[in-house]
Amino acid sequence: MDIIYYECKKAFTSPILIALLLLFASYNILLIVSTSDRREELKVANQLAGKYGVGITDDSMNQFREDLQHDLVKLNEITRTDYSEAELDFFTELQLKEKYYEMANDIDNRYDQIDWEQIGESQINMYRFSGSAADTMKNEYIKLSLRFEEMKDNDEHKMWFFAGDPYKMHSFLFRTIFGHVIFESLIIIALAAALITNYEFENRTHLVAYTTTRGRRLMRDKLAASLLTATTVSVFILILTLGTYFAVFDYSHLWGSSISSALNWEYKLPYVSWWNISFSAFLIWSILLVYASMMLFTAIIFSISIFVKNNYFTFFIFAVFFAVALLLPGFIPASTNLIFIAGYNLSQLVMNPHMFLMGNSSGAMMFKNYEWITICAWTIIVVALSYISLRRFRKQDIH
Amino acid sequence: MRILFHEIKKIFTWRILLLLVIANAVLFFLRIEFHISHFPNGRPSLDSYRIGIEMISKYGNDMDEEDRRDFKKTYEVQVQEANQYLQSNKEFAEAGVGTYEDFLNIDWENKEQAALRDKIMFEEQVDIFWELPERRRLMDFHETKEARVGTYKNGANPRQEARFDEMISAGHYQVYPEVVMENFKEFIFNVAIAILVSVVLIISPVFMKDRSRQLLDLQYTTRKGRELYKTKLAAGLISTLGVITALLIVYFGMYALNNTEMYFNVPIHMFIDSFSWYDPTLLQYMALTVAAIYMLGLVYALLAMSFSSMMPNYIALIGIQVPFVIAMITYGLTYLVTRIINIEVPQWVVPTSYSGMVAVSVLFIIFMWKREKHRDIVV
Repeated sequence: MDIIYYECKKAFTSPILIALLLLFASYNILLIVSTSDRREELKVANQLAGKYGVGITDDSMNQFREDLQHDLVKLNEITRTDYSEAELDFFTELQLKEKYYEMANDIDNRYDQIDWEQIGESQINMYRFSGSAADTMKNEYIKLSLRFEEMKDNDEHKMWFFAGDPYKMHSFLFRTIFGHVIFESLIIIALAAALITNYEFENRTHLVAYTTTRGRRLMRDKLAASLLTATTVSVFILILTLGTYFAVFDYSHLWGSSISSALNWEYKLPYVSWWNISFSAFLIWSILLVYASMMLFTAIIFSISIFVKNNYFTFFIFAVFFAVALLLPGFIPASTNLIFIAGYNLSQLVMNPHMFLMGNSSGAMMFKNYEWITICAWTIIVVALSYISLRRFRKQDIH
Repeated sequence: MRILFHEIKKIFTWRILLLLVIANAVLFFLRIEFHISHFPNGRPSLDSYRIGIEMISKYGNDMDEEDRRDFKKTYEVQVQEANQYLQSNKEFAEAGVGTYEDFLNIDWENKEQAALRDKIMFEEQVDIFWELPERRRLMDFHETKEARVGTYKNGANPRQEARFDEMISAGHYQVYPEVVMENFKEFIFNVAIAILVSVVLIISPVFMKDRSRQLLDLQYTTRKGRELYKTKLAAGLISTLGVITALLIVYFGMYALNNTEMYFNVPIHMFIDSFSWYDPTLLQYMALTVAAIYMLGLVYALLAMSFSSMMPNYIALIGIQVPFVIAMITYGLTYLVTRIINIEVPQWVVPTSYSGMVAVSVLFIIFMWKREKHRDIVV
């Protein structure tokens, strides 16, 4: 245990890594605070969920309408033209509430117009899928439309949430904020893991370190230390960033809202999750997926370090690996299922955190089982890779 | 000289070269390829590009009232052609679409007409029906050109206002299509990213490499002694220039596939695009952005070398440069390369930024050299 601790210490006593960690964390905080001007307007969704319950039912809508009419009467009573501050707030709030009412009222109408099989067709045309790839895509969209029907039956999408248009809070949290967290953690993790793994060679202590009783088994401790360091780094950034986010934006009555809420409709298509999960569950799943990806990336960096034995190259080779995996599906002919298999990679996964578990995505990412298959497949690959590199290191010429 | 040559050879090891090629290939496919293989990006961009060439060959670098009348006439002639096309086409006549005007007013609810419209627009892609709206759009721009400058002038500060007045009195209005200009801006922005990353990648190990191998004890006790530091610095700068030049040649070689040379001698104030402080031609603007890339490359090379002689290990060396490179890519490059003479950026900002960056990086490396002269290398 001591050894792992001392290995971790190598990363955490590096002033540059600490500085980067603090820099990134403060950047995220700044990013969140600088967008907090819409906080006031966002309160309305929370209020509605608090007052009428998070689910949108006929009863609650009737109640809502009555209250709105009541407010309108109050509005008409104000005949003066020099409005007080409180009155102006009342006006904007009423206006927003009316907008939410209209949006909620329009859900069935808008959802009835969506035909997923047709959307699938246009996706197939857009990405020029043919042959077995087109068939796979068609099947998946048939499944999605079944899921969509199920959703319309059980009304899970009828829940209050921040209006996707114009606020786009889902994209802000899960794309912008999570994207920053992932990218920043990855940079620090790559540096830290390479630092720990190659430390002995860089500092010319390898002839001592690898001839002790522990010997070359020290590499296993280095792997454990890298994973531990990666955990600490990602947890630190995540806690600070998400802590700030939820302190700035109030979600108190919306934790139980559905992630597929119809109000959360940002762009052309609504968010349709393959599973009936709440916002809080989605948040936890996202964190777990990101964490699992970070662990897998750490082990990949560890293996690259062992093979390359040079920190400088390790970092850039990892960057190239990340980017190539991202580009991979683009190089594969769109006529076979191979193009989807190529999409099952960690780079694709972590580049689209707002599309986790969602069916309204594109390419392999829209498949129901995309996330867990990617993680499982890569766990197997990474375990094998780590095993091979550890084996290799046992007999490597380190002089 | 021989030592300099050897130092340059030490920078370009085959591994670094391989990494350089792979990194650039990745960045190319990730960010640059699109702006080359998708230019012009579908229709009506293609028509815009073609009409631009036609306008340049007809009207040259200056479009006066007469030219604009001529452009309008071309439009009207083409409307006649469209009318003839529609009238000679039985299907359209039957569907009650006899003139171009009818065609523009096609009712979306009318399935028969909509299908015909889709047929000639998307299936057959008849050129005139794509060109006409594009010409119409340009004519709208021609008609509102004074009003647009006026709107911008209203919200301007005194210096910008003076510049707008200057443009108005010179008769510089935006009349030519913007596709080429926009495409070049996207292209050069991404090329700047690739070159910045490449320079940092190549140059960072310059001083660190020998130091981490404990070669300094040997090197600094030769007759050349610590002067070697300057030779390594020179080697670094020469390599930077070499890498930037080589990459620019490759990337501009690809850019040549876009076939935009007809646009090169047109002053950039002619394009329907952002306004500028100065009136270079497109080619001069390109040269300016290239100069900017050289400058940025040299500044980042100097910084990389300073960090290289200061940082204790490779991880710290990469770590400290990450914020600088990311900040430059996300915030700096638009101002320092693509919007280098944009009127929205105060006139003094760009020259001041460059002077500041050059001053800081030069002072930094001088400081590092002074430090190196007295540094205790036996640790």
